[in-house]
Amino acid sequence: MSTPLLTRTEAPSPAPVRAERSTWARARDASANQLFLVPVALVFIVLLVIPLTQTFYWSFTDFTGYSADVKFVGLSNYHKVLTDPSMLAGLGFTLAYTIGTAVLITACAIPLAVVLNKKFFGRNFVRSVFFFPAIPSIAILGLVWGYILSPLGSGVLNSVLQSLFHAGPYPWLSDDTLARLSVIVVAVWGGAGWHAMLYLAYLQSIPADYYEVATIDGASARQQFFHLTLPLLTPAIVISNFLLMTGGLKVFDLPFTLTKGGPGYSTYTITQSIITSGVAQGRYGLASALAVLFTFAVALVAVAQLWASRRIERRVL
Amino acid sequence: MKQRRSPITSVVMIALACLVGVPLYYIVVNTFKTQQEMAKSPLALPTSLFLDNYQRIFETVPLGRSFLNTLVVTIAALLVQLFVGSTAAYAMAMRASRFNRIFGALLLLGFIVPGQSTLIPLYRLLVGAELVDTLRGLVIIYSGGAIFCYFLIQAYISRLPFEIIEAARIDGAGPFQIYWRIVLPLIRPILVTVGIFQTMGIWNDFITPNVFLSSPEKSTLVLQVYRSVGEFSTDWPAFMTMSVLVLVPMVVFFVLTQRHIVSGLLAGSVKS
Repeated sequence: MSTPLLTRTEAPSPAPVRAERSTWARARDASANQLFLVPVALVFIVLLVIPLTQTFYWSFTDFTGYSADVKFVGLSNYHKVLTDPSMLAGLGFTLAYTIGTAVLITACAIPLAVVLNKKFFGRNFVRSVFFFPAIPSIAILGLVWGYILSPLGSGVLNSVLQSLFHAGPYPWLSDDTLARLSVIVVAVWGGAGWHAMLYLAYLQSIPADYYEVATIDGASARQQFFHLTLPLLTPAIVISNFLLMTGGLKVFDLPFTLTKGGPGYSTYTITQSIITSGVAQGRYGLASALAVLFTFAVALVAVAQLWASRRIERRVL
Repeated sequence: MKQRRSPITSVVMIALACLVGVPLYYIVVNTFKTQQEMAKSPLALPTSLFLDNYQRIFETVPLGRSFLNTLVVTIAALLVQLFVGSTAAYAMAMRASRFNRIFGALLLLGFIVPGQSTLIPLYRLLVGAELVDTLRGLVIIYSGGAIFCYFLIQAYISRLPFEIIEAARIDGAGPFQIYWRIVLPLIRPILVTVGIFQTMGIWNDFITPNVFLSSPEKSTLVLQVYRSVGEFSTDWPAFMTMSVLVLVPMVVFFVLTQRHIVSGLLAGSVKS
């Protein structure tokens, strides 16, 4: 990308007479041009560099937000983060959620996209319904699902199960394991359609001839899926999973509105941990240490994705 | 080889879609029922056009005010994001000095670092500037999204025919004129795409208002719903009604911009 840019700015001027005048004009234009970087530099420094540095610095101190007497405490905050039960619980559930949603959404979205790529009666309806949960705020969907999954006998799901099978009531959101599963299932419900759209967009760019040739060569539908569709979808799988992983690590809205992180700390997330200990309890050092670890985790996923997509590009193209 | 339209696919997929859509159907249908009717037959269609729930929600929950708050914040934040993102992309495209390239690489940091990592210092920053619990403060926090916009706009600008800009420059147009008269109209398609995605992101955001806003009269829509849940903990039809009302603007927005969303989904994901 940088080579064409270079040739543009360093293109020789057409006439020497004009060149002399334009040296001035160019210098003036260049500085005026750099003015356009001021807004983004401001945003970058004020909203990113300074706060990130502060987070990093506070993670080594016992800063509480009130006393001016800030002591350097080395790695003890990091040690506390990795031994504090609530933070460990947040770390554990966030990882489980990230991996669980990534695997399940991928497993649902790819077949869904393959089917949606075929012509059938009612396709637009099916597509709209699956995509719909991506439109409203996930926080509101979490609240609505809270009503549906209410552990009381009067909860929607429980009353339906009661009237149909005389079963329950089940403690959907008040049992540790069930609550974790519920959060993940709702997340899959909310995300599968969106990711299916992503896959669908890639599927539609695969030339139909490939399938014709495969059919003529006698490949079964199964073979076509595993040896043609899936390999061609690899770039989409990398991107979709990158979004799922980073989104999963950052998750907050859904567990918070659905279960408030409970029962106990069973659906507690890293983000909720940072907000609670940092903003509400003023344990800045501890929350910052967690935030630093969190930043590295997200950066790691991002770098891995970049590396993977580079490799794939090289192999496919 | 023509693909056959399989009736089995239709039946299976429509059944699946109904299963996935049941919660939505359930929410909408119960807003037209009384609590007794809902308890008795939760999935049936309403027997009469019962609108009391809607009337009650409008009387008790200040949805109009939170709608306006959300609208103001979304528009202001969006304008800031698009302005900052497009000016930066323009500057980078016009001059590929070493400084600019290094700075561009540094901006990737803004792409990778999650908002949560800077949340606590930003909270203290807004407290210090007495901007916490104000809509202006919220807009400031959202302007961080400009870096994301920058990357998408920059990718688009780098594919534009540069001769147009060069021609304008030879004709004596200054950098500001070129930006305003030539580049901005040229990049309108990407501004629309980015704008739509950012609008949905800001409008639907929960974490930022939840952390930075405390006064009830400054609530955004999503926050308002979250805070009103307690009031309706036993009155489910009322809660469902509130949810439906809050979903309406986003659904309308989606229907109007659907085209761009599906194409942007591909463009955005390929770029990121």
